[in-house]
Amino acid sequence: MTTTGTATATQVYQLYIKASPETLWDAITNPRIVAKFFHGAQVESTYQVGAKLRSLSPDGSRLWGDNTILECDPPRRLVHTWRSLYDPALAAEPESRVTWEIEGQPGGTCKLTLTHDRLDGSPRTAANVKGWSFILSSLKTVLETGEPLPALE
Amino acid sequence: MDDDDLVFKALADPTRRRLLDRLFERDGRTLGELEAEVPELTRFGVMRHLAVLEQAGLVVTRKQGRHKLHHLNPVPIRRIYGRWMDKYTDGLSAALLDLKNDIEGGER
Repeated sequence: MTTTGTATATQVYQLYIKASPETLWDAITNPRIVAKFFHGAQVESTYQVGAKLRSLSPDGSRLWGDNTILECDPPRRLVHTWRSLYDPALAAEPESRVTWEIEGQPGGTCKLTLTHDRLDGSPRTAANVKGWSFILSSLKTVLETGEPLPALE
Repeated sequence: MDDDDLVFKALADPTRRRLLDRLFERDGRTLGELEAEVPELTRFGVMRHLAVLEQAGLVVTRKQGRHKLHHLNPVPIRRIYGRWMDKYTDGLSAALLDLKNDIEGGER
């Protein structure tokens, strides 16, 4: 595989996690758990439609994200805006959108689908957010073993 | 078969790897567009390969209007990478791979 592939306007990430929809929902909206799988980010939100979803660097000194909740339907669907404020070149690109969908499966498993779209005008962001694979893989490890993955790099 | 078996089985075929590479280059394609990438196969052949990739979770489909779009899902490869590569490529094996790349001209 080449590493120069063109990232596309809609990216889809999917995985199965051994957890109930409620547990998975809690994991993606509970700041204590989000910190374990999202590079130690400190997130703050009331998770009401129209509310801010802010995330800060682990020491709280830098603003990583200042997004808006577009839809919130626990424990099934969460939609929010996305701008990568952690890098000025990415922050300058237009806003995109992230949709988390949780579907309960037989046998106590959930299917989690994360769609990152509206990336048409944001090619650098599109290339950068390929890191969702690592984040979601980490989320699965946290929920299934209780342990975060070792930090990347 | 567990999830890893399905992924390894899906990756153990050059046509399926080619389909994944084409999706990596440009994601969200219809069956018709993917068919054009492997002209030596029949439509049915492409569908069969896509079904194996989908079963392994490497391809996820999404409806958009009348179209069914195929997306590369990189998460299973990330899982395999974490499970097999991180463990074995630390230290010595990474050094040996670097040496091999140097000797063979730096290109893999």
